[in-house]
Amino acid sequence: MMKSFFRTYMPFAKAGTQQMMAYKVNFIFHLIGEIMSCFIMFFIWKAVFTSTDGKTFMGFTMNDMIVYIFISFMTGYLSYSDGAFVLGEEIRDGSVSMRLIKPCSFDMCFLFQEIGNRVISYGIIFVPIVAGVEIYRYFLMGSVQFNVGNFIMFFISLQFAYLINFYFNIIYGFLAFYLKNLWGTTLIKDVIVNFLSGATIPLAFMPFALQTFLTYLPFSSLSYTPVMIYMGMYTWDKILFSMALQIFWIFAFWGISKLIWRSAIRRICVQGG
Amino acid sequence: MIQVENLRKEFKKAIKEPGIKGSVKSLFKPKTEIVTAVDDISFNVSKGEILGFIGPNGAGKSTVIKMLTGILTPTSGKCCINGKIPYENRKKYVKEIGVVFGQRTQLWWDLALRETYAVLKEIYEVPDKQYRERMEFLNEVLDLQSFITSPVRTLSLGQRMRADIAASMLHNPKVLFLDEPTIGLDVVVKDNIRKAIQKINAEEGTTVILTTHDLSDIELLCDRIVMIDKGNLVYDGQINNLKHKYGQMRELCFEMKNSDDLLSLDYKGHFTLDEDDLSIESDGVSATIRFNSDRASVQEVLKYTLAKIDVRDINVKDADIEEIIRRIYKEGV
Ligand SMILES: Nc1ncnc2c1ncn2[C@@H]1O[C@H](COP(=O)(O)OP(=O)(O)OP(=O)(O)O)[C@@H](O)[C@H]1O
Ligand SMILES: [Mg+2]
Repeated sequence: MMKSFFRTYMPFAKAGTQQMMAYKVNFIFHLIGEIMSCFIMFFIWKAVFTSTDGKTFMGFTMNDMIVYIFISFMTGYLSYSDGAFVLGEEIRDGSVSMRLIKPCSFDMCFLFQEIGNRVISYGIIFVPIVAGVEIYRYFLMGSVQFNVGNFIMFFISLQFAYLINFYFNIIYGFLAFYLKNLWGTTLIKDVIVNFLSGATIPLAFMPFALQTFLTYLPFSSLSYTPVMIYMGMYTWDKILFSMALQIFWIFAFWGISKLIWRSAIRRICVQGG
Repeated sequence: MIQVENLRKEFKKAIKEPGIKGSVKSLFKPKTEIVTAVDDISFNVSKGEILGFIGPNGAGKSTVIKMLTGILTPTSGKCCINGKIPYENRKKYVKEIGVVFGQRTQLWWDLALRETYAVLKEIYEVPDKQYRERMEFLNEVLDLQSFITSPVRTLSLGQRMRADIAASMLHNPKVLFLDEPTIGLDVVVKDNIRKAIQKINAEEGTTVILTTHDLSDIELLCDRIVMIDKGNLVYDGQINNLKHKYGQMRELCFEMKNSDDLLSLDYKGHFTLDEDDLSIESDGVSATIRFNSDRASVQEVLKYTLAKIDVRDINVKDADIEEIIRRIYKEGV
């Protein structure tokens, strides 16, 4: 059962990796752009901290903030998902029929293909950033700050964040397809999601009521939860609670995406031919 | 093997009124119109048969194929292939079939062709030994070797089509659905593809449903055809019967020295022919007369024509299948 599942979908992961290799120049330039915007954030926050009198800003030291920026960048980058976004387009132009004639689940094909992509992103980003951040913390604090327990929970939470993102984007892909004229571009969505998920500024900086509210929305599960776990800002109780919330959102989005898919393929009229 | 009963498919088509006002209106209260693409079609196909599925543009052929392959759900009616209902258990069902849509590709755009086949091998769980034999066979018939390492996006139409055909046959499907597999191909490639179809049918007993506008595909591959028009079934039977039924039609082509001459010819009156028995086409220089040789013998028609006008060139042809189909498309059975 499990074996035949992997036999079926592993090739998609391999295909994803090869696809990535085919566009490696794109990938590198995109990555350089992302890293540059990350450093811009770094300098902005540095300026904020040097211009304030106290040592901390809303409970964050400058050191915390810098770790936050880089880890949240990495989390955002590694949990990003847009592979399934083409689905709406495929339904519109009828090429979804080529998906329907294969004995595979539509979401698993996308998922594994993206995992194949992600293998490369992990290789290029994960180790350097974690190492960089830890070395930075070591020199600043004079002692090793790395916590294996937190790190493992962070890693699991990051995978959860990816899965939420993955199914969220499938749903968004359908929505954008149906509401093409109303919804605007992916750029606006990304800005809103980044803000609500705490990727732009830590949720801790927001008014308490809003912060509590956002914690229960799915967005905080995308970025804020894993980052807080990494930084050791959460107690074990809080870690378990927020990860349970992540799992809840994975199932919720998974269920919704399946429902939409099922009703969509019954109703779509595959065009062309 | 394949049972199709009263299959029907309606599409809802949005009607958009022109202008901004129309767009706003259609946003809140979309006006729709129902188009019946397939209207109550029934036929059966037995195992190992190659069925030619033909009809003029917009007849509903592709729509039927999409329902048979589980891509579309019928509005009403039933189809059952190999004991399975396509749109009900899609994943299981599609494992047993192979599909080619001439206008689309099922191959991965960015992968080398060889990798694509490796992916398909796993998806369809083809055993190593069978995979090797099958690849060898397909290689031989379709000559894939020269481009098997190229990414699919760099293939020419003919190469891509051969690759697609090979992909549909890789897992030894029980039924093969081919929707215009020879569209836009040169004669040699067409020949290779026909050979591949013939071979897999003969060796594996694969049932094949084939739509095409190239009637030589049909003549070379099929014994039986199902013809539809405007969503309705118009003919289901052996090609030979069709030939017998319409085979008495002959075609007389000639080039005139003087284009006004045509006016002096009155085949209809002279031979007392009906509408069905005669058609005349002319571009001023040459003319094509199709007539029923039971009603007017070839000899008489020739004699009459030559007596009336001066011709530069003249010849008589047997009705081939193309001619017959043309007649049916134009006039109905
Ligand atoms: N998605 C759709 N929405 C609305 N009408 C459709 C849709 N798909 C097909 N039709 C209509 O259904 C009819 C049959 O189309 P279909 O594609 O099955 O024709 P076909 O026999 O394959 O023609 P061709 O030989 O040109 O490929 C056409 O009149 C077409 O306009
Ligand atoms: Mg068609």
